Amino acid sequence: MNAVLKLELFVGLLVSFTLLGILIWSIKKGGFDDSKRMMDGVFFDSEDDLRDAVNRENKQKALRTKKQEELEKKAKKQE
Amino acid sequence: MKCTHCQLEFDETVMITEEKSPDVYFCCNGCQGVYHLLKDDGLDSFYEKVGNSTLAPPVESDDNAENFDLESFQQRYIKRTPDGFSKVDLVIEGIHCAACVWLNEKILDDTDGVLEASINFTNNKAKIVWDEESVKLSEIINKIRSIGYNAYPYEQSAEDVKASSAQRDYFMRMAIAIFGSMNIMMIGVAKYAGYFSGIKEENLHLIHLAEFLFATIVLFYSGWIFFRGAYYGLKNRIVNMDLLVSGGALITYIYSLTILFGAKGHSYFDSVTMIITFVLVGKYLEVLGKKSAVDAMDKIKSQVPLEATIVKDGGKEVVALDKIVVGDIIEVKNGEKASVDGQSIVELSTFDESSISGESLPVEKQKGDTIYSGTINSGMVMRYEATKNYANSTLSKMVDLLEDSLASKPKIEEMTNELSKYFSLAIILLAVVTYIGWYLYYGDFENALIITISVIVIACPCALALATPIASLIGISWATEKGLLFKEAKFIETFAKATTVIMDKTGTVTQGKLAVKKQSNELDGQNLALLYGMVDSSTHPVSKAIKKYLEEKYGSDGFSLELENIEQVHAQGIRANFNNKKLLGGNSKLLEESGVAVALDSDYTVYHFAVDGELLTSFELEDTIKDDSQEMIAYFKEIGVETIMATGDHQKVAKRVADEVRIEQVYSAMSPLDKAELLTKLKEQGKTVVMVGDGINDALALSKADVAIVMGSGADVALAISDVVVLNDSLKGIKNSFIISHRTYKFIKQNLLLSLIYNVVTIPLAMAGYVIPLVAALSMSLSSLIVVGNSMRIKNKEL
Repeated sequence: MNAVLKLELFVGLLVSFTLLGILIWSIKKGGFDDSKRMMDGVFFDSEDDLRDAVNRENKQKALRTKKQEELEKKAKKQE
Repeated sequence: MKCTHCQLEFDETVMITEEKSPDVYFCCNGCQGVYHLLKDDGLDSFYEKVGNSTLAPPVESDDNAENFDLESFQQRYIKRTPDGFSKVDLVIEGIHCAACVWLNEKILDDTDGVLEASINFTNNKAKIVWDEESVKLSEIINKIRSIGYNAYPYEQSAEDVKASSAQRDYFMRMAIAIFGSMNIMMIGVAKYAGYFSGIKEENLHLIHLAEFLFATIVLFYSGWIFFRGAYYGLKNRIVNMDLLVSGGALITYIYSLTILFGAKGHSYFDSVTMIITFVLVGKYLEVLGKKSAVDAMDKIKSQVPLEATIVKDGGKEVVALDKIVVGDIIEVKNGEKASVDGQSIVELSTFDESSISGESLPVEKQKGDTIYSGTINSGMVMRYEATKNYANSTLSKMVDLLEDSLASKPKIEEMTNELSKYFSLAIILLAVVTYIGWYLYYGDFENALIITISVIVIACPCALALATPIASLIGISWATEKGLLFKEAKFIETFAKATTVIMDKTGTVTQGKLAVKKQSNELDGQNLALLYGMVDSSTHPVSKAIKKYLEEKYGSDGFSLELENIEQVHAQGIRANFNNKKLLGGNSKLLEESGVAVALDSDYTVYHFAVDGELLTSFELEDTIKDDSQEMIAYFKEIGVETIMATGDHQKVAKRVADEVRIEQVYSAMSPLDKAELLTKLKEQGKTVVMVGDGINDALALSKADVAIVMGSGADVALAISDVVVLNDSLKGIKNSFIISHRTYKFIKQNLLLSLIYNVVTIPLAMAGYVIPLVAALSMSLSSLIVVGNSMRIKNKEL
């Protein structure tokens, strides 16, 4: 019985501290800065919104690469 | 009938319809334009997200977006990111639901060159990162404007950074405290079940160990701010609530540690986390209040013009506002804001002074008249001479005063802290006396400690702390159901104690829109169509009101005459031709200057219409009074609240409106500073003042009031400063907020009495050693339940 209790406590603590870790990470990333939006999260969570998020990430990646290339070109010219 | 875009209801006759799609109706061209733009861009899922919420119809901005590309703007507002992109902070105007945030972010994400666009729904602030090689900031701003919103830049202040980081810090501490409390509560179920049905000593030890883990995190991480507060308090020789909270929690924690390490009895790690969590939630709300004050200030500062054009040595120069000196000649184009106070040097100009007086009609300025900073030139290009530098100008003064008043608002909090200081001190003294008494009398350290903890736990001001917030919460939720948004609970108390109500005229007592009161002669046939053509070709509020009047009376069909040579006469009206007929429409001055005799002498705004030198008809227009104004004023008289009307309008108009709604005290021609002064004077006389307003011109007075009520359709700045928002714009809402506040306050007093009786009865019992800590904790919960139960009765009244 005691062993079961120990195991339960251990698993319970492990799960809850993992969740706490995710919460802390999310708070630090600014996920809870906008309290109103947090409550309306469901509006930003449809399949389309997830697709948009992926597209946005791809667009950001492409823009960053392009900018990096431009900056490198400029630097080379200056040399 | 509802507009398909903004969902506001209008009469079917004034709606714009489309042949191709018969199911859509629009209240204005703006709504129609935005609807089609969203549809063409595949963004029509916006309407699903909006649901039943209403939007403000899109407003065309007078500002030129190209200003955003100017060098001085770039230097002041645009920052470079390490990877070579540009970044700007904006305040987006017109956002009122999650769908608006979604739409703005979506349209910006779909814009080439925009790397990141994130909008904070709570404070409407946006951060935009983009590549200047691909897109200009003015193009981004135009995108935002194209969907009916507007954007202003703001400089992220040091206070904003500080308030944001404090908010995040407190949120983190609160989240961890809630996490710890919830886990301890779950473990507590096993512990208390074991207390009644028996539990093995080793299992109990395991439970204590797990509780210890959570309580340690909560006490020393989440509760750190209380230790810090207590330390600074003691350093300044003040016994504050922080000391009671941290001291009580620490003693309970140490006692529980002795149990964990072998002493007999029960641990109270759960009480430790509960005390910290409850108080921390209250603290977090306080921090949120401070953050919203900073956000309000940023919104106001974003209204300040960026730069001014100075005419010097025959040339023009664009300079920053602080570079303007007295005597400089400043040029203001149409739609631009005057940057500093000055005197007009041109014969005639017109300014929109709504930010000063609240009146939407443009004001004529003759040579030598004062031009106020922040007012908008609504006529042609004009020049004026600066008589004050920026720091001493009206706009800058208003911003400074607002900053001061926002920083000094929470007076009630000071009083509560003052009271809790004595309460904390009394409890600590009682606990010390109890401990010394028991220890000296019986010499038993453990028993004396347990009884002392009972005293602290039983006196833990839960019922006292709950008495006000729980009743306020129920009162506030009741208010929300009735379309009233109380931004903070403390305003209920202030409302209930209010002795004076100051009301703005335009937009509060009256509708804020001109309507035709009287027409001298009826027109028909071609003359009617000509008149319609004249008013249709102008966007002046008077023309718009007459157009609406004609459409309501005759419908909008059949008026298809094309006028020629339409000429807008500055601040007077319109001249036009039709088949060699000379048409005139405007004020008396226009007609008199054109040789048409006008006999009408009126206190109202007047519009005449003449064809070929013959006056055909004249209109008298006035701002219409809201339906429920009289009922509300009568209610104030009934409950003994003094009512005052303060307006920027002229005496005659103010008096007429006041007489009609039976307000006896009227102050007319009041500037924002005058209104604020009036409020300060009344408050010095010991009065508790509620201010009702809606415009930027009321912002200063609103910030000085004990409670500021703003109509939901009011300016963003006013809304940001307000304490209570009347969402449905009805005056009945103001009456309801008084009724709800009075009733809620009555229950707060009852609750306080109940918790006082509880403390008077239980503290002596605990000191006498009749209460073990567990029973103390249970009775504390019971007292809280009584308070909650009593508060539930607040809503048992019909409004």
